Amino acid sequence: MGAYLVKRLLMLIPVLLGVSLVVFGVMSLVPGDPALAILGPYATPERLAQLRTELGLDHSWPVRYGIWLGGVLDGDLGRSVSLERPVLEAVLERLGPTVLLAGTALLLGTLLGLVAGMVAALRHNQLTDRLVTFGVLLGISIPSFWLGLLLILVFAVWLGWLPVSGMTQVWSDAQGFSSVADVARHLLLPALSLALVAGGVIGRLTRGAAIDVLASAPVRMARARGIPERRVLLVHALKSVSARMVPVIGLQAGFVIGGAVYIETIFQWPGLGRLLVEAIAARDLLLVQGGVLVLAVAYVLVNLAADLTQHALDRRTRAA
Amino acid sequence: MKTLGARLLRHPGAMIGLGVLGLVVVPALAAPWLPLADPTLTMPAQRMLPAGSTGHPLGTDALGRDLLARLIWGARSSITVGVVAALVAALIGSLIGILAGFFGRVTDALLMRGVDVLMAFPYLLLALAIVAALGPGLANAMLAIALANVPFFARAVRGAVLDIRHQDYIDAARLAGHREWWIVIVEVLPNLIPTVLLLMTTTLGWMVLETAGLSFLGLGAQPPDADLGAMLGTGREFLTTYPRVAVLPGLVILVLVVGINLFGDALRDLLDPRLRDRGRRLGTRAGECRDAGRHHDGHPGHDHRHGDHPAHAGRQKAGLSGEGQAGDGRSAGGDCGEPVDDRHPLDQGRRGGSPHDREVSGEGQGDEPPDDAHKGYRAARDARERSNEGGPTTGSAPPLIAAEGLSVLVPSERGAAAAVDRLDLRLQAGERVGMVGESGSGKSLTALALLGFAPPGGRLEGQVELEGTDLLTLDADVLRDLRGRRIAYVPQEPSDALDPLLRVGDQLREAITAHSSEISADADVAVGEESAAELASTEGGSGGRSETGPVRSAVVMAGLGDLGSDKPGAETSKRVETLLNKVGLDGVAGIQRRFPHELSGGQSQRVAIAMALAHEPDLLIADEATTALDVTVQAEILALLERLSRGRDRSLLFVSHDLALVTELCDRVLVLYAGRVVEDAPRERLLDAPAHPYTVALLACSPELGRPQKPLPAIAGQPPSPAEATWGAAAAGCRFAPRCPKAQPVCEQGEPGLDELAPGHRVRCLFPEGSKASDTGDGADSTDRVARADGADEADGAEVTDRRAGIDGDAGNDGSRAHSGRFFNERDSQR
Repeated sequence: MGAYLVKRLLMLIPVLLGVSLVVFGVMSLVPGDPALAILGPYATPERLAQLRTELGLDHSWPVRYGIWLGGVLDGDLGRSVSLERPVLEAVLERLGPTVLLAGTALLLGTLLGLVAGMVAALRHNQLTDRLVTFGVLLGISIPSFWLGLLLILVFAVWLGWLPVSGMTQVWSDAQGFSSVADVARHLLLPALSLALVAGGVIGRLTRGAAIDVLASAPVRMARARGIPERRVLLVHALKSVSARMVPVIGLQAGFVIGGAVYIETIFQWPGLGRLLVEAIAARDLLLVQGGVLVLAVAYVLVNLAADLTQHALDRRTRAA
Repeated sequence: MKTLGARLLRHPGAMIGLGVLGLVVVPALAAPWLPLADPTLTMPAQRMLPAGSTGHPLGTDALGRDLLARLIWGARSSITVGVVAALVAALIGSLIGILAGFFGRVTDALLMRGVDVLMAFPYLLLALAIVAALGPGLANAMLAIALANVPFFARAVRGAVLDIRHQDYIDAARLAGHREWWIVIVEVLPNLIPTVLLLMTTTLGWMVLETAGLSFLGLGAQPPDADLGAMLGTGREFLTTYPRVAVLPGLVILVLVVGINLFGDALRDLLDPRLRDRGRRLGTRAGECRDAGRHHDGHPGHDHRHGDHPAHAGRQKAGLSGEGQAGDGRSAGGDCGEPVDDRHPLDQGRRGGSPHDREVSGEGQGDEPPDDAHKGYRAARDARERSNEGGPTTGSAPPLIAAEGLSVLVPSERGAAAAVDRLDLRLQAGERVGMVGESGSGKSLTALALLGFAPPGGRLEGQVELEGTDLLTLDADVLRDLRGRRIAYVPQEPSDALDPLLRVGDQLREAITAHSSEISADADVAVGEESAAELASTEGGSGGRSETGPVRSAVVMAGLGDLGSDKPGAETSKRVETLLNKVGLDGVAGIQRRFPHELSGGQSQRVAIAMALAHEPDLLIADEATTALDVTVQAEILALLERLSRGRDRSLLFVSHDLALVTELCDRVLVLYAGRVVEDAPRERLLDAPAHPYTVALLACSPELGRPQKPLPAIAGQPPSPAEATWGAAAAGCRFAPRCPKAQPVCEQGEPGLDELAPGHRVRCLFPEGSKASDTGDGADSTDRVARADGADEADGAEVTDRRAGIDGDAGNDGSRAHSGRFFNERDSQR
């Protein structure tokens, strides 16, 4: 485990460097003068000149990247034009709600997907299997933003069970448990919108993996040894399926993070995704850059955690 | 591609997918010619008209525009954008993939590191960043989605190119002096088309969804253009008042994407060779599987065309890496997900019109249920416990385990084929029996069937009686309790025996505790009997008993409390040590803490044997247990098995393709050919006087120590597959006849019975060989045998009798020689 951890951590360095390069590179796709694009047509020439120096636009591209990267490592992501505050500050403030939303969605989706996939595999080619297969097909085909709207319509508008949007009750002075309950009530629908879709993908892959695993030699041998079936399923089969699914779940974090952009917009969730949409609308390029960078790094770390978990489950995996 | 079209037409999923897709695509394509209102014409006076209004079947939106027209034109926009994005991604991605895959080395390393980095992004985020840089707009959104998908295409295409590059025809083209670019264009590109097509259908649904998503956010299609995503975005404002305006566009997207995904799944079924292979393995070839190509050069007749181990079925490379890597989103879809369901339902009536079935194989019984099964079970058990001294006996003593008319049916193109056909097998307590045959002869299936396991998609027929109780009618949970406790199994691949994810010590403890809280066996049987009838009645065509049973018992188990708990009590730990020491491993040392992949093959096999011995089973089945090992380790394991079985009241069934090995270890040998027992003889008998031509051939191709120059003849031809044996040319007669050097026309007329040649020596041959064959003797006995075969084969008995004259005249020599050999042998043994 130790050697694997070290190897895997070392592999982070080139990936993170690459990610920063891409984030920086994409922003240089901006047609025309970046300073003008950032400040807009009404900027004063002095302000423009100042920003050009800040961005190092007088330098060649590699030097500019170096300057920017140095800033990033220093915790300086630049200053947001639209919010008129440091990008890092604004981004970190919005990171928490996104992590809460995406994490809950991923957790729910994983539970849903694993259970549905395992049950379908156990009832392979029976009615349950077909129902799950159909549900999973819907899950991977449904637009998450539409699903969010439907959930609002049914559970918030028609039934009135849950709040329509936001993360907390407005003007709420709830403390302690009731404030947690308040957030949970607001969290349920947006998390579900993402979880049902992520669960579709996970369920589909789990079903395939579980069908394989249930027919595999170790499971058959466990049965041949007379191991109780419950243990065969819950220890041997589930462990093997989980080991295969963990990387997939890590990749689903990518979908959940991306999907959060829609869902946060729909549910007025005060997260990083919505901030990004607002930043794009305001042409606040440094804010976009910072937000994308932070989310991408978060995603890389989630996948690191997934790889470590997989290695803990299956010691044969190597850091490739 | 022609055949692909035809196959798609016959694929139900593809047809349903096309149908669903057509619901959206056909109107969208026909939009310019449909009598639709102008989708962008705003008429504020007709704002939010309800559905069914004149001229507006679905009503109007907030600006009074016709909703139906906007939906159809919007679908047109979404489809176009999705398809173009898929094409752009495919084009750029393929180019990168081809460059990386074909020109290799530095190009490859650079390009692929870049791809890896892009894949470290959540790709929707990447698309967002690109749109942010390029500015909003449908074309930019499309480009952004396409670019975000490029890495996925690049990686998959590179993989495909690498596969193609290693094909012989590419080398041939190089040798022919063609230039690299010529090879790429002429040889590589055409072979990439299916891959790229597949990737496009897999990602198309996602591209439609995500471009709609960008438009929904206002970053794609701009007003007043009709676009499903944008309609959804603007309709959102009126969600509470006019939900229809937002709900309908989403519904159209859903239908469109469901259609695309259904069709894509079908296409993947048909195009992805890996999945197709897997489907075949799960399905038609399930019973045969593979043997990983390990075999002795000394056995040319043993070609491992089919494998042996049903447990391999369905095992495959985890398909999670390829597409799953690419997709943090939906296109990860089902790369590894969906096994192809081309299992053929097993037809109940196994095969029609073979009147000589039961009669020929001798034993006619089997249909009456084992009356008073539990009493017999108990009685037999008591008897066994009383008389421990009774060594291997051939005659009257009740057998420990007896298979009667045991058939293992596997799915094939034509329905259920018998991979093991009406096999009879009796093992006395303490007896060591070997079972030999080529791969595909059904020996491993038989071994597993003795544990009540049917191959995936297959089922068992006949009886397997453990001291009088038929295992195949037992309740799943009772059967489970017998497995590992009374009958233990050691598989061929040491790595298969152990769960790769659990530590060796934990697995041993698990094997021990599995039966420690033993439910009384007698009670079990009583319970078992009750549900046996139910089990028999529910046993349908799909899935063998062992496949459906566990599910049932899982439900039962769930209510039973923690039977499987593995509290590592001191007693268990001690037992683990003892067991490990018993098989020659140091039980205290680190081996318990290791994972299976940290053990050598020999160590793993010792652990597997230790587990098998955990409950001192009455019968140990070693299924090619030494085959996968090095020769020296093989000898050690063999010695271990011998030590563990000799001088004890434990029976051993040793399954191997290696006749020499079997005769070293076993008292009695069964020779299997194409699912049938062709010879059953005590070891000495078999070595001195093999009677079946197949046995003779097997012996002839065993290398002998000290005679390295001895030529090893091959047995020409291939054994029939279960389907061929059931329906093919050989089905009517002796299955070995097509390969038999001594075959006569009569051999193909009816299958010979398994007749007793001498006490304890049975052979299924009309013209059995003798070891000290002489050419003298009369043909009377051989005619007699033919007549018996005829009698069994009532349908064409008369015809065969007519031809008998021909045998005696034309080719009677062989027959009489064989007969006289046998005659002398019988006399020898009487002396």
